[in-house]
Formats: sequence, C-alpha cells, structure tokens
Amino acid sequence: MIDIPAPRMKKPLVRAVCGGLCSLAALTLAVDAGRAQQTAETPAVPRSAAEQAKAWQEIANRPDFWQGTWQSIAPIADNFTTPPDYTPSALAYIKAYKPAEDSPFTNCKPLGMPFVQNIGGMPMKFFQSPGMIALYIETSGMTRFIHTDGRKHTEEPNPSYLGESIGHWEGDTLVVDTTGIAADSVFQLGRLSEKLRPQGDHSPVSGVIFGPHGPNLRLVERMRLLDFNTLEIQTTLYDDTIFKKPYALEPRKFVRGIERRNEPQEWACTDNRDYLDPTTGKLELNVKDKAQNR
Amino acid sequence: MTDTPRSRARRWGLALVALATTFAQTADAHHSFGKFDMGKLTAITGTVREFTWANPHTWLIVIVKKANGTTEQWALVGSSPNMMSRWGWNASDIKAGDKITVDVHPGRDGSSIGAIQTVFTAKGKILGDPAGSTGQALAGGPSQVPTKPQGQPYK
Repeated sequence: MIDIPAPRMKKPLVRAVCGGLCSLAALTLAVDAGRAQQTAETPAVPRSAAEQAKAWQEIANRPDFWQGTWQSIAPIADNFTTPPDYTPSALAYIKAYKPAEDSPFTNCKPLGMPFVQNIGGMPMKFFQSPGMIALYIETSGMTRFIHTDGRKHTEEPNPSYLGESIGHWEGDTLVVDTTGIAADSVFQLGRLSEKLRPQGDHSPVSGVIFGPHGPNLRLVERMRLLDFNTLEIQTTLYDDTIFKKPYALEPRKFVRGIERRNEPQEWACTDNRDYLDPTTGKLELNVKDKAQNR
Repeated sequence: MTDTPRSRARRWGLALVALATTFAQTADAHHSFGKFDMGKLTAITGTVREFTWANPHTWLIVIVKKANGTTEQWALVGSSPNMMSRWGWNASDIKAGDKITVDVHPGRDGSSIGAIQTVFTAKGKILGDPAGSTGQALAGGPSQVPTKPQGQPYK
C-alpha cells in the first residue's frame, strides 16, 4: 500500500510537545478524576414532557423519509465523470495503481462510510426520535446515528466505520456532516478511464480506484425526496490529501419499497469464505485478489 | 401474479438481454465475480450434500455422478439469504440428499465451482438467484424464471 501523506497531521515536534503536556494533563485528571469527569461535558438534562411533545411535533412536519425502506438503484461505484483535481500524491498513487482482479469486500469486514451506502441489493431504513435520526443499512447490518440536536463535531473523534454524523435540515433537505471515519473504511478515489479498464470484466467494481483516505476525510451528504418514491443523496468529499478542492460526487438515487419483502432484515455476516475448493475441501479466501488488504 | 404467459415470456426474454448486457449494473457487490465465467451457463445435476443459508453468501455443495461412473463435488455460491428471501427462496427449499439441477456460471479455470443462476428443486420449485440484478429489480420482487434448465448439461 502506498501511503498518501497527510499534510494536516501534527508535526513530530508538535506531537512531542503535546505528548508531554497531555501526559501532564492526564496525570492531573488521574489525581482529581472525580471533579474532572463532572466538568468534562455538560451534564445531560432530560426534556420535559412538553418539550418532548413539541420535538415530536416538529418531526411530524419533516419530509417523509420514514415510510418503508430505500433500495439503491445507482451503480455501486461512482463514475467520477468530471475528473477531480488531485493532489500530487494522489496522482502518483493512481499512476501506480493496478486494478484488482476482484471486489475488495467479499468478506465480512464492515465497509464503512462512504462506500457502505453504495452497496445495493438490500434496503436502508430511516428511524427518528427527538435529537437523532438513525439509518439502518442492511447490506452491512450497521446503523448510522445522525445527531440532530445542534451539537458540534468532537475535536478528535475516535475513528469508527460510520464516523461521527451531525445532521440539520435546510428546508426539505437533510444535510449530514460526517468526520472520524476509520482509516480502513472502503474508499473510492476515482475510476480508471474506459480504455484502461480490464476487458470483459463483469465486476460491478471494474476500473474502480480504491485507496486509502486521509485522516481528515469529511463527508457532506445532502438528502432529499425528489418525489414520494425517490430519495436522492448527493455526497461531497473533503479530503485534502487526495483532492485539491472538495469533490462533489454525482447524486445517487434510492427507490422506496413499502411491501413486506422490502422490510429490513437482520444481516449477520458469519460465513467468511470466498469459495470452497472442491479438490481440497478447504476454504479459499482469495486475498491476493483484493483491491485493499482487508 | 396476474401476468399472461406471453408477457411472462417477453419479460424473461428482456431479463436475458438485460443479464447479458448490463452486468455492470449488478447490485450484489459482496459477490466475487473474478472466479466465474459469467458468459457461460452450465446445468449441473446431482445430489445435495450441503446447503448453507448464511451471509454473506449461501453455499450449495452438490455431488455429481459423471457419465464415466466417477463422482465430482461442485461448490456453488449463491446470493445472500437477505436478497434470496425477498425473491421467494426459503432456507427449507433445499435439503441434503435432494436431487437437484442448477444452472451455474462455472469456474473460469475449469475447476468444479460455480455461481448459481437458477435452481430447480426436488419439489419442482424454480428459484432465480438475485446476483447480478439491479437494485430496481430487487426492490420490485422475484424475477421471471425459465421453466427448464438453460445451461449446457454437465456430464
């Protein structure tokens, strides 16, 4: 794997100084742990019944994302029709990139944002309660928690596959801002031109350039209903290790399903084999073909 | 279903065309396609050794008795139970010991592995595998399936 340098990473000297100060701070915390915990964050206060009722009433007036489920009808990979303005390190990575023979996610490891929502075949479902929207993504069996209580991002969010998501409404559009995405989440940074793609490759990820994203990857999603049956999600990628300026992906469409077959199901990924070699009876994991070392 | 036989046949024809031409639109990316010749269809007939209803993929192991008297084990991979259950499959449709015919896309390297396309069960149920279908098709419910195996019989 080729590492793309991260310009915004702290310099070693800064890190060393911070390290010292942070150790001191940690020591102080340890000595006075009880009081430090109380002041670390504002204590949560429950809403009154009246406040809660008002919050539910506001939810009732939002666009109806909630009935049934949403099935992706867009291709899995993004097209990158307009070439992004890449950083020199990203260009070097792309130049050296060899398309993988196979998809990088035939195993059970979570894909993470942003790619997890691209995998169609199974629906997603929105749920909502005051202060939070939840989005269950069946294809990985994971749920995104989108905070709508007006909070700000934590300064150093712990990495997670789905990241830290904060949402707000701009008219009828739900805008979701996500940071703190784990380094090994599946990330597509571009697509090989038609002539460089392997011929006769039926894979839905043919010609996709997978690669590492930077530690400060930030996603801004704009979600809105085009009509009752169609949800559109347009995502803009902010990652200055790869793109010189934020890159707006083409919008993706999702179709609503209200029949019982479209209801969400459990996804428990347990059988991690790629294929069984009938001659040896052994499970073959086929890792050599993976686009990323997952 | 209220389809007429003619519209069914037409839709099946369209489905074949769609399958042949728009594989790039396929929805099931958990699936490994690199191992299989998606342009080739082979009809495997044999006895079920194992049917595993598990994510990310179902597995169907079939013992095939060849014309020369030897037996061969075929390892066939299907879609996820989540997708298949929405297309009319049930975990109880296939049991060890069942006689079965399966249209598969065989291994590229000639080994006895395959990606399931259609299963013709012992009880006469015909089930299409959703792998390679569009999200729209998946949301729309079960596909049209052929009445008999379409692959080149494996002997």
